[in-house]
Amino acid sequence: MPHAAAVTSSHLLKKDHLKGFLRKLAKEYRLVAPVRNRHGDVLFTVIDDLDAVEIELNEPPQNSLKQFFLPQQEQISTYTITPEGYDFQPTQAIIPPTVYFGVHPCDLSAVLYMDVVFSRQQRDPFYLRRRQGSVLIGINCNSPAPNCFCNATGSGPFLEMGSDLQLTDLGDRFLVEAGRTPGHGLIDRWQGFFAPSTDKDRAAHYQTFLEARGRFSRQVHVEQAIRRLEAGTVPEQVWKDLSLRCQDCGGCAYLCPTCTCFTISDQQLDATSGQRLRSWDACTFAGFTAMAGGHNPVQAKTGAIRQRFIHKLRDDVRLTGRPSCVGCGRCVSICFGGTDIVRFVERACQGSL
Amino acid sequence: MPQPITDIYLPRQARVEQIEIENSQISTFVLAFSDRPYNDAFRYQPGQFMLVSMPHCGEAPISISSTPTRPGSIHLSVRRAGKLTAAMHGLRVGDTIGLRGPYGRPFPMEQLHGKDLLFVAGGIGLAPLRAVINTCLNQRDQFGALTVLYGSRTPSDIAFENDLSQWQKQGVDCRLTVDAPEPGWDGAVGLVTSLLDDVKPELDKSIALICGPPLMFRAVLGKLASMGFSDHQVLTTMERHMKCGVGICRHCHMDGKLACVDGPVFSLAELRRLRIMELEGC
Repeated sequence: MPHAAAVTSSHLLKKDHLKGFLRKLAKEYRLVAPVRNRHGDVLFTVIDDLDAVEIELNEPPQNSLKQFFLPQQEQISTYTITPEGYDFQPTQAIIPPTVYFGVHPCDLSAVLYMDVVFSRQQRDPFYLRRRQGSVLIGINCNSPAPNCFCNATGSGPFLEMGSDLQLTDLGDRFLVEAGRTPGHGLIDRWQGFFAPSTDKDRAAHYQTFLEARGRFSRQVHVEQAIRRLEAGTVPEQVWKDLSLRCQDCGGCAYLCPTCTCFTISDQQLDATSGQRLRSWDACTFAGFTAMAGGHNPVQAKTGAIRQRFIHKLRDDVRLTGRPSCVGCGRCVSICFGGTDIVRFVERACQGSL
Repeated sequence: MPQPITDIYLPRQARVEQIEIENSQISTFVLAFSDRPYNDAFRYQPGQFMLVSMPHCGEAPISISSTPTRPGSIHLSVRRAGKLTAAMHGLRVGDTIGLRGPYGRPFPMEQLHGKDLLFVAGGIGLAPLRAVINTCLNQRDQFGALTVLYGSRTPSDIAFENDLSQWQKQGVDCRLTVDAPEPGWDGAVGLVTSLLDDVKPELDKSIALICGPPLMFRAVLGKLASMGFSDHQVLTTMERHMKCGVGICRHCHMDGKLACVDGPVFSLAELRRLRIMELEGC
């Protein structure tokens, strides 16, 4: 989203004041934040009543923000068949302006990547309508989870730009950085909640960053894998081994905050009408590239697995200068076949470190 | 303030004005957008494709087989292959379909100016080349000698017969072959590559344009290479499964390139850099 450049300024928000600030925001925006549900899971959730939920900022949410900008399934048009002919009617979902609060650096980086995907070649109306009028309030990660490796993908644990407001937990208070115009606007608007930050706060912020950086339990050599993919030196056996283990469940693609491949299909409603749907898809599915009549130019499972990793770690690096894996570790936790991106990176780098 | 964003996924209604039955599996549909001003202003280039909608069938990419030098209607030559194309074969004149496009990188017509063009096609593969051939014939002085080598499975499978005889009349050297003859066929029998034995292109001013099934494609590439064609002198158009047509959904991935926006037209030199099924073992 284009926003006028602005100088970063930092402020303090006492934790006691957080709920009051969110209450103000919720009056003007739909509020989405990570909430712990009654089963104990943390999920980005639309919050109707701030007093009825527990916002969880330390544990990474199981879902990302992808579903809010690219729903798992959405109607993109409807059609009718009348004596006058076959006609399409546009779908224009009304998307309320939304504040996404408590967004971890990995998920924020993912939204910035999706912005490129959905506006680089052509402007995608459905994504951009959801994205316009959205406010992103990030939270830096003080304690990366066991599967996290955003330090290896350049997308965390702290972010300095990309969000409208960026929070860092300093114990009893948040340091709040406003990097973009909408963020400055929020602070100006509700300045009663904020205090100026001091050099001491900024020193604490830096100290917290250093400690967070030292807390990763994994060392994933993403850069090395990128180099090997670009050089074409990843052994064929790696693709073969991984493809044997992939169970074709699509879990990695569905949970991945940057997997944006989709399919378009029609759903007949009655004899004379229907709706056209866009749904999440996964490049690892055998039918992803199959053409009418059954011919498939990507014939082996190895080709599909290869596509997943060369897209994220080679082709997107060529295009944007950085991988589209944001190191969130979700595929690591979901993949029971052991075909996740960390396993790939480890295999690709074997014998080269 | 956010500006309204064009709905790039919304098809427009088009009416079937005429249907040319090419063979038992292929028909050419002559189409015009119902919105007349839109139809009159509609422009495309040879090698581009449209996304066709049929009721309850979703969309499929079909290359445009008419020529932009004859505006007013769009020709789509369609082989019965799946659900959507089977539904198209049930269309009658006056029926309506959905269309969006044109999409894709076209044939580089300016680069073909002054060249002798050698078209090599198999089956429905002649459809996208038909757009180029008719464009050349409408701008005859811009191009050198035109040769069409066309392979079909049997004589009954020969499509575009009207075009072939018309082209022949207009001085195009058209040569046909079939894989398996039928009674009454006195033409060539064998793969389309065998027709290449009889043509003597001037290498320094020739470009080959190929379109056909992967097996034929590989065989023709081998033959052209042995005749001395460089990879830069060979152009083709790729067939892939597509959904969005605009470079977002990624169904048409080709080892880092997307057929819908980076193609569907590629030079062989470009394809050589990619790991794709069509070039396996080449």
